[in-house]
Amino acid sequence: MLDAFSLLFQWQNLAFLVLGTGLGIVVGAIPGLTATMLIALTLPLTFHMDPVSAVTLLIGEYVGGISGGLITAILLRMPGTPASIVTTFDGYPMSQSGRPERALALGIMASVVGGVISWMFLAGMSPSLARFALQFGPWEYFTLVLMALVMLAVLAQGSLAKGLMGAALGMAFALPGIDSSIGQARLTFGSSTLLSGFGLLPVLIGAFAISQVLRDANGANTALKIDPPKKRLPVYWSDIRTHGPNMLRSSLIGTWIGLLPGIGGNIAALVSYSTTKQLSKTPEKFGTGHEPGVVSGETANNASIGGALIPLITMGIPGSPIDAILLSALIMHNIQPGPMLFLTNGDFVWALIAAYLVANVLMFFTMRYSVGLLAKVVTVDRAVLLPLIFVCCVVGAFALSNRIFDVWVVVAFGIVGFVMERAKVPLGPFVIGFVLAPLFETELRAGLQTSGSFMGLFTRPIATAFFVAAIAMLFWPAVQAWRHRGRPVTGGVDTTMD
Amino acid sequence: MPHLTRRTIGDLTLCALVIAGSSILFIGAATLPAPRFEPMGSAAVPRILGGLLIILSLVVAVQSLRAPQDEAEPPAAIPFRGTLVLVTLIAYVAALDVLRVPFLIATPVFVVVSGLIMSHLSFRNAFMFSALGLGVTFLVDLVLTKFLYITIG
Repeated sequence: MLDAFSLLFQWQNLAFLVLGTGLGIVVGAIPGLTATMLIALTLPLTFHMDPVSAVTLLIGEYVGGISGGLITAILLRMPGTPASIVTTFDGYPMSQSGRPERALALGIMASVVGGVISWMFLAGMSPSLARFALQFGPWEYFTLVLMALVMLAVLAQGSLAKGLMGAALGMAFALPGIDSSIGQARLTFGSSTLLSGFGLLPVLIGAFAISQVLRDANGANTALKIDPPKKRLPVYWSDIRTHGPNMLRSSLIGTWIGLLPGIGGNIAALVSYSTTKQLSKTPEKFGTGHEPGVVSGETANNASIGGALIPLITMGIPGSPIDAILLSALIMHNIQPGPMLFLTNGDFVWALIAAYLVANVLMFFTMRYSVGLLAKVVTVDRAVLLPLIFVCCVVGAFALSNRIFDVWVVVAFGIVGFVMERAKVPLGPFVIGFVLAPLFETELRAGLQTSGSFMGLFTRPIATAFFVAAIAMLFWPAVQAWRHRGRPVTGGVDTTMD
Repeated sequence: MPHLTRRTIGDLTLCALVIAGSSILFIGAATLPAPRFEPMGSAAVPRILGGLLIILSLVVAVQSLRAPQDEAEPPAAIPFRGTLVLVTLIAYVAALDVLRVPFLIATPVFVVVSGLIMSHLSFRNAFMFSALGLGVTFLVDLVLTKFLYITIG
């Protein structure tokens, strides 16, 4: 670990980490711009960079992007990122009652604590989980991917059928190209440009950046009015004692939820908020500007990042679109995440883990001492930003492999993403399906080759467990609906924004 | 024929598009060779996904038709600006690809046009987006040509 820190503290790596964290905070703070979009756009620029510098930049953007959302969530009731929706529940009332500095201070402190605690799990659990994953064969990987896709579809908002449709569509778009098993073109329809298939990055840029800009274009000229904090942000040592148990519990919830594929920081924050409210002696204060409300949500959403990095590093399974982009970044730099990563690229993976910790610390100091400036930056007219994002999309897609075809892919998948969002088909399963389709097919075919039939799966206990879990998750919504038939819906947390 | 909400019509259109897309998977899979060295072969996954997509489309269609059709719908905002920006983007990429317009010319024009679509049409905005477009274009071109040795358009 010390070697990792010394590698990370080389000036260029540290500079990229500072740059990434700062960029992430700014983009995360601007409603409508997300960390996913920023990372997708920056990835092509890292192509010529050293892998450690590239990953530190992206990790900084990830941490900053999730954390930055709290600024507008507290000051405007407009979360910069979905992960900060819960922060509006108590952060905005605190701001309205003349305590914006206190709300911001607590949110920033909770974010760093959540990040640091989940880092401990990331650093502690990853090596042992990777050793466990060394036992995995084709059937284990096939069923793990199946379980991840089903979980994503089940947990996606809206209908299960649409979630599954999103995953299947993503997988279908990954099929064109050379079938590596037989070395023959598949679904290319005679096009030589399609022989290498649709590039992951053009698809990601299109699906996330272009579709979002198209969506935001309608309200782009609405400038935000914001009242930046005027006093220093008050953080006291006594806050650790007052909010310590809440932060620890919320960190555990966030890390655990981050570990599960498909559940992002927003759900982690929501579950943590509900749990804190249920355990509180004064639940009626939640939603009125209660400090534990801000602390629970912000701790959990940052902790979910560390949790999500664990399956990515140890098994190469991304749990969210951002993790899918990080996976493609690693592959682009000839680093294959998975159980062998600690053996083949030990220095790199420890540097990544160290970067996550340092990014959290950088985020804390950046946000604590420049929140007033950040509050002014987010008022930049989005009509100015969006055309520039388009140019970055075009340039980024082209720069990857000097092919204008990739730019057309960006445009086409921008339209696909836009249509899917309008039709309420979730983009998360679509992207993860696209990323995991090659692994899914390769492992399924390898499993069938070694076992001769699908029944070979049931001779492997871990694979059987994953398969049963996938089937159970698939039918769980129907079972729940059957159990709750005719019963009025009560409880829960209202996440609607007006 | 019952009165269909805008949401149901949207869902049915989506299902029709997905079924049409699935048929492409079946057409493409039909040209692939039968498996020789392994049980599944190259055509199996496209066929499985095609079949799955058709089944899911039918499920979505049935769910949408069975949902209450008389609910009050808020008027859907027509993404007028979004559509215009999309057309501008397609024209920009076509200018770079088909017409071979230099990046240094096409990009500032694109920034001005898309910026004006997303804001208000005024001389002040036109001037601002022109300056912004030129600045960004020259900066990006400098990075691409001097550092990454890439030429677009």
